[in-house]
Amino acid sequence: MREYQLGEFEEIVLLTVAILHGDAYGVSIKQEIETRLKRSVSVSALQTALRRLEKKDYLKSSFGEATAIRGGKRKRYFKVTKVGKAALDYSKETRMNLWSAIPNVTYEYARA
Amino acid sequence: MSTQEHKKKPVPPSWSTRFLEWFIKDDYFEDVQGDLEEEFQLKAGGDTLVKAKSWYNWQIMRLFRPAMMKKIEPQDSIEKETTMFKNYLKIGIRNLWKYKSSTVINVIGLSTGLAAFVLIALFVKDEYSYDKHFKDVESIHRVTVKNYTRSGDLSRHWAFASAGHAERLKEDYSDIQYAARFYPWAFPDLTYGDKKFPGEQVIFAGDDVFNIFSFPFIIGDKENAFKDLFSLVLTESTAVKIFGNDWREQEILGSQIKLSRSGQEAPFKITGVIADMPDQQHFHFDYLAPVRFLENVFDEGTMENVGGNYNWLTYIKLSPNTSLPALTNDVNEEFWDKYIGKFDTGEEARNFYDFEFQPVLDIHLNSNLEGEFERNGSEQLVFIFGAIGILLLLVACVNYMNIATSHYSRRMKEVGVRKVIGAFKTALVKQFLTESTLITIISIPMCLLMVWFALPYLNEFIEKNMTFNPIAQLDLLGLLLLLLIAVGMIAGLYPALFLSKVNLVQALKGEQVINHKKWNFRSLLVTFQYAVTIALIFTIGVMESQMAFIRNSDPGYERAHVLRLNLPRDANRETFKNELLSHPDVLTASYSSRIPTGRLMDSWGSRFFKGDSAVASNFRLPVVSVDHDFLETFEIDLLAGENFRNNMLTVLDFDTIVASQYIINEAASRAFGFDDPGQIIGERIRYGVTEGRIIGVMEDFHFESLHREIAPMLIIYQDNYRGISLKLNPVNLPATLEHIAGVFTTFDSENAADMQFVDDLFDRQYLKEEKVSAMIKVFAVIAILIGCLGLIGMVGFIIETKLKEIGVRKVLGASAQSIWVLISNRFLVLVGIAFLITLPIVYYLMDAWLNDFVYRTNISFFIILLPVILAIALTMLAISLQTFRATRVNPVECLKDE
Repeated sequence: MREYQLGEFEEIVLLTVAILHGDAYGVSIKQEIETRLKRSVSVSALQTALRRLEKKDYLKSSFGEATAIRGGKRKRYFKVTKVGKAALDYSKETRMNLWSAIPNVTYEYARA
Repeated sequence: MSTQEHKKKPVPPSWSTRFLEWFIKDDYFEDVQGDLEEEFQLKAGGDTLVKAKSWYNWQIMRLFRPAMMKKIEPQDSIEKETTMFKNYLKIGIRNLWKYKSSTVINVIGLSTGLAAFVLIALFVKDEYSYDKHFKDVESIHRVTVKNYTRSGDLSRHWAFASAGHAERLKEDYSDIQYAARFYPWAFPDLTYGDKKFPGEQVIFAGDDVFNIFSFPFIIGDKENAFKDLFSLVLTESTAVKIFGNDWREQEILGSQIKLSRSGQEAPFKITGVIADMPDQQHFHFDYLAPVRFLENVFDEGTMENVGGNYNWLTYIKLSPNTSLPALTNDVNEEFWDKYIGKFDTGEEARNFYDFEFQPVLDIHLNSNLEGEFERNGSEQLVFIFGAIGILLLLVACVNYMNIATSHYSRRMKEVGVRKVIGAFKTALVKQFLTESTLITIISIPMCLLMVWFALPYLNEFIEKNMTFNPIAQLDLLGLLLLLLIAVGMIAGLYPALFLSKVNLVQALKGEQVINHKKWNFRSLLVTFQYAVTIALIFTIGVMESQMAFIRNSDPGYERAHVLRLNLPRDANRETFKNELLSHPDVLTASYSSRIPTGRLMDSWGSRFFKGDSAVASNFRLPVVSVDHDFLETFEIDLLAGENFRNNMLTVLDFDTIVASQYIINEAASRAFGFDDPGQIIGERIRYGVTEGRIIGVMEDFHFESLHREIAPMLIIYQDNYRGISLKLNPVNLPATLEHIAGVFTTFDSENAADMQFVDDLFDRQYLKEEKVSAMIKVFAVIAILIGCLGLIGMVGFIIETKLKEIGVRKVLGASAQSIWVLISNRFLVLVGIAFLITLPIVYYLMDAWLNDFVYRTNISFFIILLPVILAIALTMLAISLQTFRATRVNPVECLKDE
């Protein structure tokens, strides 16, 4: 299962979509990331990441309702797929493995 | 929702949105723009509107990246285009093949128009290429002198300067780098070994000649060419003439060639051979020799003259960056004061002379002075032909448009089906443009054939040597390609737009509704064709009537059966004349220096005596040397006084004033102030080196062509003869001519008798106009023929669209005539409009052309009406041919559709 390629920003987006479960569309994802991570996100970066994730089958999207504030345009809701979930798991797992593999010596060394 | 929000909803910049829509993948646009809008509204609520807008713009800018963009699929679109193009081509070829007659008409029209245009373009190019081959030609100028009368009017302006001008100008002005005078010494005989070349024109030129004109040397070089006094430089073809084709193998440098004239001889040595002078040059010399040689032939007075004796073609080359107007101004301010100062009369010379330095590049097209070395072109003529060429091309295009749109009903269903299948308008336009370009491509080889066929005739006619070889002449190839594209586009665009805007439903129903509007663009096209036709016919009409006016006008002297003969060398005048007169059919004979139809080029200064004091006359009084039979031979009447008697011969002696007698024309009598010619008889004048009384006044006659007004002239009985004029009995002319040639040979075995009828010489004065008129006639006929083709197509079209109407009318009992009237009405209106638009313009232009003639005809009512009558006649003919067919159609045939 080496094929779960996930960039840093992609991982954040994927996680945010998971957090917003059922209410993940462009604006909400962007606001969620901005409030949680205290960093500003451009529409361009977000959209690029979303589309790339969708292309990798980590996300799937469907059109939702249109609202007046959106000028009558429909929202595109994103959902994490099974593959996406697996990718997140894999990512978390590999990191945990890495974390647990850190010997204590390292910390001592760093402290010194 | 608050009321504030309700009032006015902020709007994001629409251009940005449009930009986004343009580049972003179609699938992404809705939600991405929705997201942007949503956030924009949120921001606009909080922040300022400006900030929100700039945020919106910025976000869209950043979205402009490959991942977001629509896919560009170049491979795909090229493939699609080529496939469609193949289809257009295939359908195009099928259509051309299917409607062979209109294809033939189109190809004939277009190729003829193209060929005429190409020929005219060759002519224009040739006319504009004169003298361009010289190095630094912009700095080469010809020196000419304008002479003014006492009252300040221009009295003459010759292409020549005086002998003394070149050297002095060069010495005094540092801006004049080189100066050279040229003297065409009249026709000496050349001898090389035992070969003799009688009467060659040797040009004596100043030493700077090779620095001014970059004649390329084949052998020899410009430094050594004129070192020796007896140098002779030949052109290549002259070298071939003298030394034969293998002249390069012979050591011809230094070979001796003898020049002889009137018993004198001088040995010249070949010092160089230059390449033949190109046709596109305003002078052509075969032999060049140093002008220093002439210093031994002419007296010093002639060689140093600065105020007259305009016989010296003079060229100067200016230093770079010289301002011509400033130089001319300086020279005119100083030169005349310095070298002439005041005349005997106390008047300042500077008021009577002005130098004009003509840029050599302007000479061929814009200089038409007295005594031009060769006949020059005319820029006006180049413009006229250029305009005709463009008109012809347009007429050919218009013709195509008319025919292509005429047959639109054939293509209606095809267009409809294409549209149903989903063809865009652009695709249909492309298809019709492909077809028009296809026709043009077929026309080009035809056009080339016509040009190749016609060029030799044109060359002979206008005495040029133009070549046409598009493979070698890249500019011609470029022109042809440009024409191909331009004609294809211009001719095809209107039919393409016209056919592609067809309404789908009507097209498929087979309804013919396009021409609902009576006055549309097509009417404009037809009017244009009529206008061109009318303009050309009118032009021809005016030219022809002026030609006829001149041909039929009485020049005031007898020109029928008068023969001019050159003089045998060294023959006794008396015996030669008597020998000629011995034939019973030679009625009279008269020696003269010039004959009517020639030019009055020789003139001396004249003074008129009032009592004992002589006053110099302020008009030019040219002279012709004649004998006592001149007036009788040319049947010129005397108004007063008497003719010369045969004992009155004046023999010039340049050391003293000799006694003489004069006959002047009426114009001269008036110029001297005598309105009654009887009064001037017996008055004393001094003329050049002669002095005596006026013994007769002859009736005014056109010695020169009718381009010029009859000017004062004088005849004198003095032997400066260059020819003899014989009045012949027209009976048995060949035998008489044989006798004359025989007599000539007994007196001069080396030269041939050169016999010319004065009639022919008279016609030759108007050769230029005749030729222009003939050329315009040819092109006009082409334009009219092309126009007729279009007209026939057009009438066919109208009948096609009106077939049902005609059917209904016939059912209701209309006659063939009433249907004919129905169709022709419309064309008559168009002829009328074309006539009203064109006539004022061409009338103005042709009136200006006529004003170039001193004696001109008036544009008659008939000539104004002629083009309209012809246009109507041609239209009627075309309509009648087509209507005949239409009216015979069985109404059932055309009404059964519905």
